[in-house]
Amino acid sequence: MSETEKTPSSSAAKSAALLPEPVFTEGPWVLLPHRAWPTEMWASPWKLPRYRRGAMMLAGLLLLGTGAALLIGEIAPWADMLHARLMLAMATFGLPPPAVMCVWGALQIALLIGIFILAPVVIVWWERKISAHIQSRFGPMRTGGFHGWLQTAADGLKLLLKENITPQHADSWVHRLAPAVALVPALVAFAPVSFGQELSAADIDIGTLYIFAMTGVSVLGIMMAGWASANKYSLLGGLRSAAQLVSYELPRTFAVVPVLMFAGSLNLSQIVAAQQGYWGEGYGFALLPRWFIFYPVVGQLSFIIFLIASIAETNRTPFDIPEAESELVSGFHTEYSGIKFSLFFMAEYGAMLLSCLLMASFFLGGGSAPLPFLRFIPSWAWFLSKAVVLVFCFLWFRWTFPRMRVDRLMDFCWKFLLPWSFANIAFAGLYLLL
Amino acid sequence: MNDSNYFKTIWTASVNTLKGLYVTWRYLFKPAITVQYPEEKLAPYPAFRGTLLFDAKTCIACGLCAKACPSECITLESRKDGAGKRVPKPEWYALDLGKCNYCGLCEEACPTKPRSVWHSLDYEVAFSERSEMLRCWKSDTPFLGEIWDPKAKKLKKPKTHLQVQSVPARRMP
Repeated sequence: MSETEKTPSSSAAKSAALLPEPVFTEGPWVLLPHRAWPTEMWASPWKLPRYRRGAMMLAGLLLLGTGAALLIGEIAPWADMLHARLMLAMATFGLPPPAVMCVWGALQIALLIGIFILAPVVIVWWERKISAHIQSRFGPMRTGGFHGWLQTAADGLKLLLKENITPQHADSWVHRLAPAVALVPALVAFAPVSFGQELSAADIDIGTLYIFAMTGVSVLGIMMAGWASANKYSLLGGLRSAAQLVSYELPRTFAVVPVLMFAGSLNLSQIVAAQQGYWGEGYGFALLPRWFIFYPVVGQLSFIIFLIASIAETNRTPFDIPEAESELVSGFHTEYSGIKFSLFFMAEYGAMLLSCLLMASFFLGGGSAPLPFLRFIPSWAWFLSKAVVLVFCFLWFRWTFPRMRVDRLMDFCWKFLLPWSFANIAFAGLYLLL
Repeated sequence: MNDSNYFKTIWTASVNTLKGLYVTWRYLFKPAITVQYPEEKLAPYPAFRGTLLFDAKTCIACGLCAKACPSECITLESRKDGAGKRVPKPEWYALDLGKCNYCGLCEEACPTKPRSVWHSLDYEVAFSERSEMLRCWKSDTPFLGEIWDPKAKKLKKPKTHLQVQSVPARRMP
């Protein structure tokens, strides 16, 4: 009404005064004021009931997560009991120890595969929400009732039911194999990740090396997909990804070398164990946890290099040259549909989760609490929450930065990240000497 | 990256990167501007011209609205008493919402106070059949009118396909 009242014409003001405010009585919907949309709403968002509801919901989710972690921490001894019972039962059946190990290993593998399959479903949903809110949208809101939480599951089901198309001129065997070759290394690389104290499927001594070797193999799947699709854009995408992934593997690996030097081991659980404790504990107060990211200069430098190289390794924006939608029509997986496409998708998100888990265990102290009085929360909960924060950073970066040009991408890797990672190793050597 | 200002380039690049991240971070916590349509609705401005409504009690059957209408969507007939003389009351009044172009001229032409025909704030005018576009009023019909069902050969209330937000919202006295 204020616009009309300001007009000099008295008749307009009179008629505006005669116009009644709209009255809405019917219907179960919420009525939003038109004139406040969206500038006044952004000026004072707390007046908006749905904004208050959303904030309360986020706080509730956080509390619920903490509560669930504590609860599972209480229940966790039951798993040990179950393990003991299982061992006992199998011993009474007279099974040999290797068979017992096989059964136990199968259980662990089932758990890991469950994480691997469920994590992308959750992360994709989360990514869609984050991207939507960065762009002042809601994202999926309908499927599953609560903020579209089943949207990704529904999409996955749709992908399973879709027709599996192989192009006529495609190299059909390579085309069929490529998704598996991309997916399996990402899955297998989860084995040595230590999810908390004594929580790793395979506690092997060369864990770090093994993970880097396995993630290196997934380049092959992308190359195979690009080659077998019989499509020049896919081939370009595959070649670009080969160049990019092989290049960025170097700074990524070299960024971990200082961590390995400080920890003196390639075993992930030992690297985590080396980050326990706090600085200033000898003086009676805990200043900072002994995480590698808090080692002055060296820790931050290697963390940033590892973060950037990880984003590039997982083919995400701003380094998603291999699957650039606007240039290459999504690159190597243009010719893939249905379940094959979803396998590529799962491999990408699995690799992303893996690099977040790695960053959490290399630089953020794995399952150690940031402050001593927070030790009551179980270690795996700390580990997973750190990984979740890092996943958020991945999503955040993706929806902030535009894509880099190919030559600048390579320049950035070879002329900037790699020299600095070498310098970083030298700094770490100086630390160890002093 | 020139050799001369290598560290300066790194510094500005980092600062600009952080600035960009801050922008998206800020927008992440702003409320979304999406209107979740069936559950949330934006209120139209008071001068919005929505579906036409009609009040048979105040109408004097002068026919000015029908003359003013550029798309000829209004038809009416005045009532007659026992002697065959016309009474200033409508016998029936019909509006073809399929022809209506929402210009508001009928509302301006209406001489009664309050107006007998006026635009409501309802913007959810959707039809599944052509026959539903024709609204009919008699002396005791509510503002919204009724529609002629050609199969059942009778008038019925338009409620399944039309959600009315407010009836007398914008009725100028």
